[in-house]
Amino acid sequence: MRMAPPTPESEAHQALIAQLDIHSIPKPFRSQTWKPNQRRNKNIKTILGDAVRKEASTMATQENSGAATPLPDDSGTSTNGDVTPAVSTASSMLQPNLAQASRNLSKLVLERNMKSNGFSTAPNATYTNIESAPSMAHKRHYCDITGLPAPYTDPKTRLRYHNKEVFGVIRTLGQGVAEQYLEARGAHTILK
Amino acid sequence: MAPSAMDPAPPALQPESIITPAKLYPPRETRFEKYIEPETDAYRSARSRGSGNAAIVIDNGSSFTRAGWSFEDSPRLNLVPIFSKYRDRKIGKTYAFVGQDVYSDTTARGHMRTAFEAGSGIVSNWDVMESILDYVFIKMGIDGQNGGVDMPIVMTETVANLPYSRKSMTEIIFECYNAPSLAYGIDALFSYDYNNGKTGLVVSSSHSSTHVIPVLHSKAILTQATRLNWGGLQSAEYLLKLMKLKYPTFPGKVNSSQMESMVQDHCYLSKEYDQEIAKYLDWTGLEDRDHVIQYPYTEEIIVQKSEEELARIAEKRKEGGRRLQEQAAKMRLQKLVAKEEQLDHYRELQSQLVNQTKKEIKRLLDEEELKDEAALERKIKELDKSVRKARIKDVGGPEEEAEEPDYSLLDTPDDQLDEADLRKKRLQRMAKGNNEARARAKAEKAREQARIDEEKRADEEKREKDLEVWLQERRNARLDLVQKIKERDRLKADLGNRKSLASQIRMKSIANLASDAPTKKRRRGNDDDNFGMNDDDWGVYRQIATADGSDDEEEEDPGVTLKSVEGDLLKYDPDFTEEHTLDAQTDWTKSLVHAFLRGPRPFDPQSQAEAHQIHLNVERIRVPEVIFQPSIAGLDQAGIIEIAADILTTRLNGIGQQNEFLKDIFLTGGATMFQNFDERMRDGLRSHLPADAPLVIRRAKDPILDAWKGAAKWASGNKWKTAAVSREEYLEKGAEYSKEHDLGNAYSA
Repeated sequence: MRMAPPTPESEAHQALIAQLDIHSIPKPFRSQTWKPNQRRNKNIKTILGDAVRKEASTMATQENSGAATPLPDDSGTSTNGDVTPAVSTASSMLQPNLAQASRNLSKLVLERNMKSNGFSTAPNATYTNIESAPSMAHKRHYCDITGLPAPYTDPKTRLRYHNKEVFGVIRTLGQGVAEQYLEARGAHTILK
Repeated sequence: MAPSAMDPAPPALQPESIITPAKLYPPRETRFEKYIEPETDAYRSARSRGSGNAAIVIDNGSSFTRAGWSFEDSPRLNLVPIFSKYRDRKIGKTYAFVGQDVYSDTTARGHMRTAFEAGSGIVSNWDVMESILDYVFIKMGIDGQNGGVDMPIVMTETVANLPYSRKSMTEIIFECYNAPSLAYGIDALFSYDYNNGKTGLVVSSSHSSTHVIPVLHSKAILTQATRLNWGGLQSAEYLLKLMKLKYPTFPGKVNSSQMESMVQDHCYLSKEYDQEIAKYLDWTGLEDRDHVIQYPYTEEIIVQKSEEELARIAEKRKEGGRRLQEQAAKMRLQKLVAKEEQLDHYRELQSQLVNQTKKEIKRLLDEEELKDEAALERKIKELDKSVRKARIKDVGGPEEEAEEPDYSLLDTPDDQLDEADLRKKRLQRMAKGNNEARARAKAEKAREQARIDEEKRADEEKREKDLEVWLQERRNARLDLVQKIKERDRLKADLGNRKSLASQIRMKSIANLASDAPTKKRRRGNDDDNFGMNDDDWGVYRQIATADGSDDEEEEDPGVTLKSVEGDLLKYDPDFTEEHTLDAQTDWTKSLVHAFLRGPRPFDPQSQAEAHQIHLNVERIRVPEVIFQPSIAGLDQAGIIEIAADILTTRLNGIGQQNEFLKDIFLTGGATMFQNFDERMRDGLRSHLPADAPLVIRRAKDPILDAWKGAAKWASGNKWKTAAVSREEYLEKGAEYSKEHDLGNAYSA
């Protein structure tokens, strides 16, 4: 590899990035034995999926694992008929006792969510259930090009437009540009 | 609203004359500033305070990580949660940068990664997170002498943080940094607490999302909290999308960071969105509404020649021309002299020939390589003519009346002529043909002129007879021409698009012309397609030519004809004014699209400076509006007013202290800093509430830093001590163990 002759600027830059670099700086406050899981980086979708899967499997093996006290009302969901569903939900509304604190947190969360289906007075806040619902309000139409109020819609491109001059612009848009405008409004066609 | 109603009235003021040059704003972006020195003084004082009296407070936000000491007023560090690590193979060294330092090096910038999942407050990249914490502890002077970070840590997290994310963070803090204790809290609630909020509705709009959280007696009712997935980051991304669509061929480099600062610096919330946006591009006051961002550019160097220089160049050129003329004149003169000499010589020869014997004549003529006396005669005549012509040219005398041509031989039958006369006759015939053709052309021209004059006269007569009919004809003609021009433009545009009908027809014609067996125009029982029999057939070549070929000139330019028709109308039609001409109507001062793209000033496509400008006008209110009307950006969620009104009017009904919440609607977070945010909240909520409902909206003192300050305040008090999870508790109960408190998330009731 050919080495460029070092100029004063590049030397100064090298000195600067050497100073800023934290890779070679000693970090005595870090534990020597800390070995993070290699696959700890997960996105929200994976985390949520994992939680559901884990829950499903622990629920299934709950009774015979012996790791924790099985909850009688968990399994007694109204198939045998000797307990009415109303009774079972009523008992499940009991607050979890302190002994349960050692139990898997995500299971607790999920369990509570499942219990909250309709009956519980105070469902827990989870990342997914605090998300705002779709709007019930009337959606106003604005011009996709200029943002001005749009009384018209072009049937060909489905773009909303403000007046005939903007319509002229729409008609001269290149291929695929109309779709990009629709995408900014979230109205584009998604091919799956 | 009909489009015609939207057409702005003719501008009352002439924009060019009144509008001052635009104020130009430079694009702003996050950049490397300077090296931050690690500071050990505060760490020493924290240690001297003893355990439980000092903590490291980290506001772990997705826009900025702010870190400092609980006993100080403001955070010591403010860094972007980004990290970059790469290996320079040339020198075999690995580099790692955190925060703004990443921007110091182009390679580092290329390897940039962020700790948070895009568009959310959830940490998803723990390697980045760890590096950011490393950086924080390095800069805060932690020396690790006691084996790790020996200070309690207070950290913020998002509302309803995912258990996995919290668990991972807890693990890192205790396992990697050996911290003595750790407490989490929600940033918005810390900010509310810091601003002495007890009961109210916290509206926190931050970098990646917006939360609405009701708080009762200093305790958050998280089950009623609601998140809208829109924040400063989404606004910036939306603006970037709009800008890319607005200026698809923008030559400058536009990035999300610049957009973020544009949203901060130039955008505001409209008090009456629908009314304001409808008038946003009107001419009146557009120069104030239109903000121009000037990107860096290099002006194309056009050598501006000074007046003198131009004069000198012109002089030089003239001088050159004069010299050439002189040279040519000199040459002509030389030739003339030579010719004159020749003429004299031949004349002398002619006079010598008189009274000579035939033999002698023959000898003399042979010497001059002439055939006979007639040839000599011709030669003399020729020379004489050319000499005379040359003299006239030089002296500039009047054009000599052409000699009456001699057609004497034409009427004589061929058999009466000898060979020489026959040749003469042929020449005469040619000359006669030429002359007659010239005369015919002249007559043709005169006739054409007469026809035009006659047409003009008839037209004028018609006008004088019935002006209205005449005007109507003109108007129709004008409409036809306008239509024609439009069609031409459309065709031109269509041909640019390969899928358009026009292009397809063109391709078909080309294929048809090129094929050996053209299918077109084949009639039954006739194999020959007769192509070319009809003159119109050749028009196909004009159809398939896309470039402005020379044969376009044959066609009358509708633009020119239109000009003359409009000229007539201007002259005679009282209802037709300058404003009605096509030029005036397509003028940029009438164009909404021009106002949108280029603001209230003319646009010069040649100017590099103007090509590197971004005009923010409608976007200034369009982008912040999304939080109130998420459907604008295609977000299928309720707007912030709808959410807040729903919480206040229906979801909190069971609690029965509705008015207490209304008395304190609290705004915090960077994205609530838009001008008019509070007013929009007030007006919006008003319409959902009874008329006499008490409604108080207030802003955080510092919507950005109050979260950190609140956390620091909390960490200085007693509540923190009971809410923090100690290292012992962690070791005993595991990473998922947490303690609930008023300002934090709750995972088990």
